Amino acid sequence: MISFENVGMRYDMGGEILRDINFTLDRGSFHFLVGPSGAGKTSLLKLLYLAFRPSRGLVNYFGHDLSNIERSGLPRLRRRIGVVFQDFRLLEHLSAFDNVALPLRIQGAQKKQIAEHVEELLAWVGLQDRMHARPATLSGGEKQRVAIARAIINKPDLLVADEPTGNVDPDMAERLMHLFVELNKIGTTTVVATHDENLVKTVGAPILQLSKGELSHIKARPDKHTTPYGQKAPSYKRTKGEQS
Amino acid sequence: MLKRPLNFLSADKQSDALLPWVISVMLFLSALALSFALGVNRGLDSWSKGLTSTLTIQVVHSDTIERNRQAEATIKMVRATPGVTSANIMADQYVVSLLSPWLGNMPIGSGLPLPSLIDVTLDDSGDFNLDSLKSRLNVAAPDAALDDHQAWMRQILDLAGILEVLLIAIVVMITLCTITIVIFGCRAGLAAHQDTIEIMHLMGAEDTTIASAFDRRYLQHGLKGGAFGVCIASVVLYGVAYMAARMGQGLLNAALPDLNTVWWVLLLPILSGLLAMITARITIRRALTDMV
Repeated sequence: MISFENVGMRYDMGGEILRDINFTLDRGSFHFLVGPSGAGKTSLLKLLYLAFRPSRGLVNYFGHDLSNIERSGLPRLRRRIGVVFQDFRLLEHLSAFDNVALPLRIQGAQKKQIAEHVEELLAWVGLQDRMHARPATLSGGEKQRVAIARAIINKPDLLVADEPTGNVDPDMAERLMHLFVELNKIGTTTVVATHDENLVKTVGAPILQLSKGELSHIKARPDKHTTPYGQKAPSYKRTKGEQS
Repeated sequence: MLKRPLNFLSADKQSDALLPWVISVMLFLSALALSFALGVNRGLDSWSKGLTSTLTIQVVHSDTIERNRQAEATIKMVRATPGVTSANIMADQYVVSLLSPWLGNMPIGSGLPLPSLIDVTLDDSGDFNLDSLKSRLNVAAPDAALDDHQAWMRQILDLAGILEVLLIAIVVMITLCTITIVIFGCRAGLAAHQDTIEIMHLMGAEDTTIASAFDRRYLQHGLKGGAFGVCIASVVLYGVAYMAARMGQGLLNAALPDLNTVWWVLLLPILSGLLAMITARITIRRALTDMV
C-alpha cells in the first residue's frame, strides 16, 4: 500500500536528515515509529503525510509512484491521509466543531452529514459539551482529542499520529489508542510516533526504529496482540469524495 | 448556483485591515480624476463645436461711412455664401462692452473709432468654403479681416487635450498603485495565514479552495473601500458642480464634471472590488504553487 525504497530526505541544501529508508506499510497495518529526539521521526512523518517529497528514492502511495504525481494530484492523496500533529495545529479562530468538520468541508460533504459525523465523533472523544469552544479555551488534552477527531473524521486510509497521547491522561490515552486500533481493524493503515514505551507494549504492534536518520530495524509484531480496550468506535460511514 | 467558498481564514488576523482605507483613497482620487477628464473631454467637444460653427469678421476703418459701407457689403456677400446660416453686425453697445476690460467704460460716440464686428453662423452641411470667402471678402471689403478662431482654438484644444491625457494618466497610475498595494496586502495576508494554509493543504484542500477564501476577502475589501471613496468623491463633485453653477456659464464651467454624466462613478466600487479580487486571485494562486 505504501512503500519506501532507498528514500533520502534533506531540507534545501543541508545534509540528509533521512538516509536509505526502506519499509512497506501493508493495508490495515499498525506500526509504531520510535527513536530518540533528533532521529528524524518528524521528518519521516512529514514524508508520510506528504508535507515534503523525498530528495531521492522511490515512494509508492496507494499504488501510485509519488515521483509521477504532479503537485495538482497531491490533494487527492492527502485526503486519504489523516494527521495528528504533536502541536495539534488547530485553527484557533474556529470552534472544536468547525476544526473537526474541516476535512469533510474540504471534500464537499453535505452540511447534515457533517453535523452528524462531527457530533458523533466529538461525543466519542468526550467533547460533546465543548463542541463550540475555541481551542484557546480548551485544555491540552481536549485540544489533542480535537486534533485526533479531525484526523480521523473522514476515515482515512492512512493515519499518521505524532505523539497522539502526549497530552492526555492515561484513561483518555487508552481510549484514544483504542480508537486508533478500531480504525486500524477496519483497514486504516496507522503509524504512531511515540516515546511512550508502555503504549508500545500495550498495543504490541510492529515498531519502526529510527536512529540518526536511518531505519535501524523493524521489530516484528508479537505473536498475538490483544488490546484491553472494550469500547466500540464510532460507526460513521465514508463521506462524499473519499476514496475506497 | 455558485458554490459558497470555504471560509477558513481568521477575521482577527487582519494583516490587510488597512487595505479598504487605502483603496478608498485611491478610488476617491480616481473618481475625481476620471470625472474631470470626462468634463474636459465634454468641454473640448463643446468648444470645438461652438467655435467651428462661427466666424467673426472685423471691418476696421477710421471713416465711419466707409466702414459702414464695407460692413454692409460684407453682410450682403456673406449671407449669399453657401453654408452660412446667418450674418449679423454686432451693435456698437456690445462692441463697447467687449472693449471695456481694456479701455474702461466709455460712452458710444466718444470719438474712438470702433470696428464693425460681424458674427457669422455656419450650418453643419459642410458646404462652406473658407478660402473662397476670404478671397471674395478682399474684393468686397478690403479693410475686413476674417477670424475663424482657429489659432486661439488650437491652443485651447491643445491645452485641454494635454490636461485630459494627464488626468487619464493619473487614473492609470492610481490603478497600478492600487494593484501593487493589493499585491503587497495579499503577500502580507499569505504570511499571516501561512500556518492555516499549510494545514489546509495537508488536509487535501486544493489551491482553488484556498484562493477562493482570499478572493472573497479581497472582493469585500475592494467593495468597501471603493464605496467609501466614491461616496466622498461624490460629495466633492456635487460641491464643485454647485459652485460652478453659481459661477454661471463660462469656459471653465464647460469643462467641469456634469453630475448628469458622471453617475457611472457609482459603478467604481464594483470595479475596484473586481480589480482587488482578480489581483488577489492571481497573486495568491501564484504564491500557493510555491507551497507544499
